[in-house]
Amino acid sequence: MNTLSSSAAPTAGEYAGDEVSAIVLDPGYATTRAGFAGEDVPKSVCPTFYGYLDNQQPLFGENAVHNPLANLQIKNVWGSDGVVEDWDTASKLWEYAITSRLTGRKPGDPTKNGLNDGNKAEGENGQDMDVEMEDVENQEKPLEESPLLMTEPGWNPTKAREKTIEIAMEEYGVPAFYLQKTGVLAAFASGKASGIVIDVGASHTSVTPVLDGMVLKKGVQKSPLAGNFISSQIRLLFKNTTPEIPLTPHYLVKSKTPVDAGAPPQAVYREFPSGSAPHDSFRVFQEDRVLTEFKESVVEVWPGPQRFHQGPSEEIAKSQPGRPFEMPDGWNQVFTVDRYKAAEGLFDASAAQVDANNPRPKDEHTIPRLVQAAVQQVDADQRPMLLSNIVVTGASTLLYKFTERLQNEINQLYPSTRNKLVAPGSVVERKYAAWIGGSILASLGSFHQLWISKKEYEEHGSNIVEKRCR
Amino acid sequence: MATGRDVRDMLGLAEGAVSKPTAQPKRAAPPKPTAPVRRPQGVAREVAALYGERAPPVAIFEDTKGYRAKRTLGPAKKWVQERFTNGARSDGLVLRHWRRRDEWEVDVRKMKGEEGREINVDVKEEEKEADMPVVPRREFAKYNVEVDVPTFTDEEYEAHLRSESWSREETDYLLQLVKDYSYRWAVIWDRYDFKPSQSSSTQEEQATTDEVALRSLPFQQPTPRTIEDLKSRLYTISAKLMSLRLREMDSEQYQLYTLLSCFDPVTERNRKHLAAALMNRTLDEVKEEEFLLTELQRINMSALRLDAERAELRARLETPVVNTQAAAGINSFTSSAALHQLLTQLFHQERNKKRVPGANGPGQPNRLSISTGVDASGAGTPTQTMPPHLNSARRQSSISHAPGGGGASTPSSTSHLPNAPPRLLSTIDQARFNVSQHERLTSGVSFGTDRLLKMRQAKSNVQTQKIATSLQELGVPELIPVPTQKVAEVFEGLVGKVGRLLDVRKVREKEEGERRILEGMRKVRVGGAEKGEGEGEDGGEGGKRKRSESLGGREEEGVKKVRV
Repeated sequence: MNTLSSSAAPTAGEYAGDEVSAIVLDPGYATTRAGFAGEDVPKSVCPTFYGYLDNQQPLFGENAVHNPLANLQIKNVWGSDGVVEDWDTASKLWEYAITSRLTGRKPGDPTKNGLNDGNKAEGENGQDMDVEMEDVENQEKPLEESPLLMTEPGWNPTKAREKTIEIAMEEYGVPAFYLQKTGVLAAFASGKASGIVIDVGASHTSVTPVLDGMVLKKGVQKSPLAGNFISSQIRLLFKNTTPEIPLTPHYLVKSKTPVDAGAPPQAVYREFPSGSAPHDSFRVFQEDRVLTEFKESVVEVWPGPQRFHQGPSEEIAKSQPGRPFEMPDGWNQVFTVDRYKAAEGLFDASAAQVDANNPRPKDEHTIPRLVQAAVQQVDADQRPMLLSNIVVTGASTLLYKFTERLQNEINQLYPSTRNKLVAPGSVVERKYAAWIGGSILASLGSFHQLWISKKEYEEHGSNIVEKRCR
Repeated sequence: MATGRDVRDMLGLAEGAVSKPTAQPKRAAPPKPTAPVRRPQGVAREVAALYGERAPPVAIFEDTKGYRAKRTLGPAKKWVQERFTNGARSDGLVLRHWRRRDEWEVDVRKMKGEEGREINVDVKEEEKEADMPVVPRREFAKYNVEVDVPTFTDEEYEAHLRSESWSREETDYLLQLVKDYSYRWAVIWDRYDFKPSQSSSTQEEQATTDEVALRSLPFQQPTPRTIEDLKSRLYTISAKLMSLRLREMDSEQYQLYTLLSCFDPVTERNRKHLAAALMNRTLDEVKEEEFLLTELQRINMSALRLDAERAELRARLETPVVNTQAAAGINSFTSSAALHQLLTQLFHQERNKKRVPGANGPGQPNRLSISTGVDASGAGTPTQTMPPHLNSARRQSSISHAPGGGGASTPSSTSHLPNAPPRLLSTIDQARFNVSQHERLTSGVSFGTDRLLKMRQAKSNVQTQKIATSLQELGVPELIPVPTQKVAEVFEGLVGKVGRLLDVRKVREKEEGERRILEGMRKVRVGGAEKGEGEGEDGGEGGKRKRSESLGGREEEGVKKVRV
């Protein structure tokens, strides 16, 4: 970036870019990423979870989601099958993700834009009112100036794709639109046109074979064993430990005093008078936040080559130094062997923690089996080539030693091929690979011919997305 | 880049010597009077500053390596957000990007000029964006590549391209997919999802019943197509169309045609099965293969070595190659050019022979011992029969006279050759006076005994001993009493023979050893087969037990022996 002079336009030879200030939107289960194409990091990353109060507009953004309002429910627009469920909220959420940081809102009619009715906003959080889109109809369409590139999971059904283009064209009023699969974009972000993309996100793990920038649909595999699964595993681990490890989210702790490792916490808890406490889903969401911290700092994947329950692995693990963790209420402990158990279920279904509510995961949902199934669906000639370009992406792959384990598992599956993992070291690149790929794609001059323009949409209807975004 | 200040800083000079406020006016004012002082070109300002007052006499810089030009100062260049269309799009989508204003103005003027309006349109920065002119741009249109797909008319299809297993509709579907995915077969196969439409089949019912029967057949049982089926269909269509359309094909086209018509889905499928099987091997199999490959390499290496050894031995035993020219007789050497050639040939021959020790012997003619046979044994005497000691006597003369090569029967009728040496002693006289002629004499004196002793010695000690024992067997004394020239030559021949015999013995022993090994292997294999059968009946464990029992028995015996 720095080598290009700001006073001269880049020549076509050195850089095929032609930026048209397109916006790239990469909605995921945990966060929704948005930013201008051509940049290397999404400018706007906001939680896909949203707050919901009875009979009110949904509340978006970090501030709203973590604010313990009375009866605040935390919801997500994504369904359990990895497809957007709540389209109304989703379209508002995406719009929020774009307008809050990128384009800004168009100035609306001062009488209706909500800034002047201070009385109404008195009781609520003014910040939230600010971001609400109360009267969309009266306003100009928010994205009339920028083409929009959106990402979708590999298994997105036709209906969902058509719905997406309808929202973009009719609600946002974009001049041009394109829908691309996350797998392809993640591969682009690593500079690969072909490869197998292993994306371990929050709600789903997906394995997508990509050939020359096109997804091989038969090979797309998904499973629910991903970040949220690890969180539930940690919960089970806490529950099964004797004594049970207490899990108190931050918002319930008023003050704490340091205690010894393993000792019961000594903290002053926050009391909510009846009726003013947030919904249970809020607590679960906040607990997950603590668990995310736990995942980031404690959980480790057993690197292999053997599985954790095979051979001397467990003995070796015991001799490894432990990692300390302190809960928001001051309870703390050094975790030794247990930290390997949380993520083992991703690779070995028999090693997963189970109870009545969390049945044993299916064997075919483990990552090695997904890879195997995906490769099986690809033509035999392409398999070795794909296996030498395995792109690893998704925030859950940032678990310590995850890639080592994955490499070992894949080498055991395919000992006769050259298996190479492409796992970008930088956290941002790993987390936002699909967005970065979209940013690259949408800033290319040769991409302009692929946009679905508003005119084409009006001519052919929403079905055009099936024809053009293959 | 280090500035002079940095350097001063490094050298520990006072920083305050050049203070910042004074630096500015200084730089601005003084350079003008000193302008005539030539500033070295192509050297960075910072480096030039280090030169001091006296510039180096030779400018040390690469002229070709351009240093980055300084950014031209001046007012900032203006940029405009250009509205443009992409040449590859047909719908006239207008997108916007930033461009330098001067470039943009040129484009806009050109565009407006082409449209026939006045060229001097002032391209103001319009207040409203919507009024900005839309510039068509074609830089990226070249990336809109489409592939060629065979096309055909209905008549052609009916006449030539009908297939039992493919309907017209499905064929069209396939061609469309091929076009859409640019011959990426893996993707085409992945997306191939043909659903015959009912409407077309009802239309076809209006056609003749035969055709309907033929065409609707595949509709009844849509079989999943493999990638090879798809390829084979398209390739046959392409090949047929090629043969129909092209009256004459050039070699490239013909090559393509044969390639297309040779496609065999079955072979291809088998190949893929094999490829998949190769990929799905287990770790053990892969390791085994690696092990076998290294083993194979090892065996190949040793076989090569053995072959080389044998070839060397054979080369020793074989007689030298007969000179083909010799067969033609003396007549081929009538011209001086031919004679010169012969001379060089012989010279080379000798050189080569020098490298192979022990190659000389009575069986082989000695070095340049090609007979001139001047008056020695009369006409028609073959060289071979001549006593060796004579040969050396005639070396000198022989070169110019006789055809080379050795055992060829050369008629020694050279006496009438014009360039015979003027004076030669007769053989008898030579023997009498003990005259010998040498090509080259080594300086100094040497004893005949030394020469004989040298002959006894071989390269290896073992070989030397072997030669000694065989000479002893033959009754040759260790010290030969009168080592005359003649004796020496006879002895030389003898030693050569002994050497060759020893070589032969060595080869024989080697071959026998190999035979024994092979026989042993054969026995093991035959025996193993029998044993294997026996074990198969007993079961592996029984065999093992037997072996261990026998081992135990041996041990017991050993113990007994010890006790005894």
